[in-house]
Amino acid sequence: MSKSYLDKDETHCAIGHPKSAFWQWMLTVDHKRIGIMYAAVMFVFFFVAVFTALLMRVELFAPGAQFIDGDMFNQAFTLHGVIMVFLFIIPGIPAVFGNIVMPLMIGAKDVSFPRLNWFTFWLYIVGCIIALSSLVTFNDAGAAIGIADTGWTFYAPYSLNTDTNVITTLVAAFVLGMASILTGLNFLVTIHRLRAPGMGFFKMPLFVWGIYATAWIQLLATPVVGITLILAILEKFFGIGIFDPSKGGDPVLFQHLFWIYSHPAVYLMILPAFGIMSEIIPVFSRREIFGYRTIALSSASIAGIGYIVWGHHLYTSGMSDIAKTIFSFLTFFVAVPTGIKFYDWIATMYKGKIILATPMLWALGTIITFAIGGLTGVTIAMVGVDIHLQDTYYSVAHFHYAILGGVVFLLFAGLHYWFPLVTGKMYNETRAKIAFYLNFVGINLLWFPMFIAGYYGMPRRYFDYLPEFEVYHQVSGVGAIVIVTGLIFMMWNLIRGWRKGEKVGVNYWGATTLEWHTQSSPPPLENHPKVPYVDFNPYEYHHGEPVVKFDENMKRID
Amino acid sequence: MSHEYVPEVSTDREGKEHVVQGWQDDREGGKMGFWLFMLTEVMMFGAMFLVLTYYFSLHQQDFINASASLNRLLGGINTVVLLFSALTMGLGLLKMRSGDVKGAQLMIWATIVLATAFLVIKGFEWTAEYNHGVFLGLDALQSGNEHSKPFGEILFFGMYFTMTGLHGFHIIIGIGIMLWLLKRIKAGKVTPGHNILHFNIALYWDLVHLIWVFVFPYFYMIGAGDIGGVIHGH
Amino acid sequence: MDTNVNYKAEYAGYWKVLVALLIFTAITFIQPGMFLTDYTFVTQIAIGAIKAWIILMYYMHLKGEKLIIAFIYFSLFLVTFFFIVVGIDVANFQYQDVSHITSQVK
Repeated sequence: MSKSYLDKDETHCAIGHPKSAFWQWMLTVDHKRIGIMYAAVMFVFFFVAVFTALLMRVELFAPGAQFIDGDMFNQAFTLHGVIMVFLFIIPGIPAVFGNIVMPLMIGAKDVSFPRLNWFTFWLYIVGCIIALSSLVTFNDAGAAIGIADTGWTFYAPYSLNTDTNVITTLVAAFVLGMASILTGLNFLVTIHRLRAPGMGFFKMPLFVWGIYATAWIQLLATPVVGITLILAILEKFFGIGIFDPSKGGDPVLFQHLFWIYSHPAVYLMILPAFGIMSEIIPVFSRREIFGYRTIALSSASIAGIGYIVWGHHLYTSGMSDIAKTIFSFLTFFVAVPTGIKFYDWIATMYKGKIILATPMLWALGTIITFAIGGLTGVTIAMVGVDIHLQDTYYSVAHFHYAILGGVVFLLFAGLHYWFPLVTGKMYNETRAKIAFYLNFVGINLLWFPMFIAGYYGMPRRYFDYLPEFEVYHQVSGVGAIVIVTGLIFMMWNLIRGWRKGEKVGVNYWGATTLEWHTQSSPPPLENHPKVPYVDFNPYEYHHGEPVVKFDENMKRID
Repeated sequence: MSHEYVPEVSTDREGKEHVVQGWQDDREGGKMGFWLFMLTEVMMFGAMFLVLTYYFSLHQQDFINASASLNRLLGGINTVVLLFSALTMGLGLLKMRSGDVKGAQLMIWATIVLATAFLVIKGFEWTAEYNHGVFLGLDALQSGNEHSKPFGEILFFGMYFTMTGLHGFHIIIGIGIMLWLLKRIKAGKVTPGHNILHFNIALYWDLVHLIWVFVFPYFYMIGAGDIGGVIHGH
Repeated sequence: MDTNVNYKAEYAGYWKVLVALLIFTAITFIQPGMFLTDYTFVTQIAIGAIKAWIILMYYMHLKGEKLIIAFIYFSLFLVTFFFIVVGIDVANFQYQDVSHITSQVK
């Protein structure tokens, strides 16, 4: 029985050659193990944030205070946002599947800087610990919940004046940002340097294109928020004056600097997700993807255009009319490459042999939910409309459809798609499908009423509301219960599949990309036994079957 | 990692062999990775220059007045010190690449000495400013008291201490990694044939110098001319 | 060992660049009192840019590194875009009447 990367002693370590399995995991530089560790930690925090949200939904089920007060509610949505954004979705797909799958897809044995990868993971853990430490504060009365109450956006001047643990959270976000930068750096060099011989940029799988475009955003956008957070910390500590109006500082400048990162950040979230979609659709349509080049170039253009549209978060903050117009105009542009991708995916499915396995269900569900998320983004890209809808539940519904219904759903699709590769086992397909439907029904029950509530004026981040909005909150509350049930059920099914699922062989889905062409399932430590020569396109199917076949020495035998 | 790495070979359908680029021993990759890291520093300092330019455009005369009060002699000496340190660092790399390891070590020490001199001179500058009541946390840079400076000057000095402080922090880190480089050379891990670490550290030092090339005129020189109240620039 | 290191030529090169940089530094010092005095800010930044280009091309060995130069152009383009758009916004500021920070309140 050949060894897999999960077996004891089958790993390379950053320091020395430890004998215990525990230290082999703690010190591993293997990209596959690092990806799994990221996933484990990220999902724990994901569920903490989900339960924080559930807490808010239950509180908001009826008007008035139920069991928490306004201050604690502010802390709750801050915690939810900080965890979801900085600890979960920004490391997100790159940290998990960028690490596990990308090197396999390009025929490499690891990333360009494996020890840096190891260091980056532990830097992420340090950031998480610092974020956790901001939860508690000690005052005269003992311990209290001290997390910041500013929202995850930390707008000045409130963030400068509040006495909650803003600085700790800013430091945590800075450290986590550094981890993101280093991941992006590692992936950029890996993709430029370690592709198998013959694999030009336009023979790479589209998931790699997604990771590549994302890495550019991780690298160049994150430093801007890094310095913004440092400037905010210096402002709080030393009063340097740049965001403090009493010294001539401009709080809108904080918003500009913050969103110069945070808008590209959402493209950082969605581009790898679109990459996963581009992998799943061909496999479960048994056809070559339609428009490979346009999808690849659209990833690059989304990354590029995404840098220049941040002002649409500031329409109501006091920008000049001409700036608003420029940003609105540019924001409309960024929807175009995304639309192109959607048409290409649907064209791929046309006359294909559709297999409705769980990964495909998640992908198809995302086409619906992300289409809603994306199109409602276009609505509020219009300045006039945004004047009414800014900071209402409409925005909140928009970005949850886009992030939860886009990024997270595709992350789940990836979990179900690459599960047999990573674990060598399979989960229960029926239960997985039920979990999908619970999530799909839940997200729509939870978030769709919010579009309507927002349209009628329900503000976001509000602890209380007028009785006319109660029905929307009640429907959303039911949806929250449904989706949380679906999430827990899905995770339980996956964990059970890893522990007790049936063992499966290599290339369970009959896919074409290189990560499926290792000699054993799960893959061995060093990935492919020999690096193949790549003179083929990534999605070659003939009559529904993959064209390219390899022998045990990675020589083509088709 | 050991240096016994042997690159893999990949065979195509015609039987032709292609060398596979592995992650080990990838000098070009090491160079590329370090340049990408330096781009993050460009974005970071770029954002700070954006903040600075924004407030300069709002308070031009205040900025010029504040700039005029800085010590151009000390700042200028530091500029020349840093310039020579970039030379010594570069010469050190050249010597290493040509096989003169001892000469390289000497040049790295020279760079460390010059870098330390830079920090000492900056220390004198900041102390003098503190003694004049101009420092973070002191009255002149707070608002609403009798010593308060006008808005533009408060913002100027806020950014001055921030940016020169961050720059100085990068110099301290630079000294640290140069000391570490000397250790690696002594241990035989950095050699004339395997010097990417030395190359990258020299790049880092050049970046530190590059940042100062813009920080110095922006803070010290914009008020160097006619300070009788005439507005310069645009 | 880099067997194709032309030690003499490169050594001379380093010193030539130093002299050039020292000359530009001297120009930096004399400019505010000597020429283009109404455009000190722009001139100072321009001199800085020339020094930066020399440092990048020679001290940092960028001459000939096509890919890395492309990377640098991309990030410089982004920074420039940020400056331009924020600049347009500031130049067309329309709330002077109610702004506390742009009209000096002492």
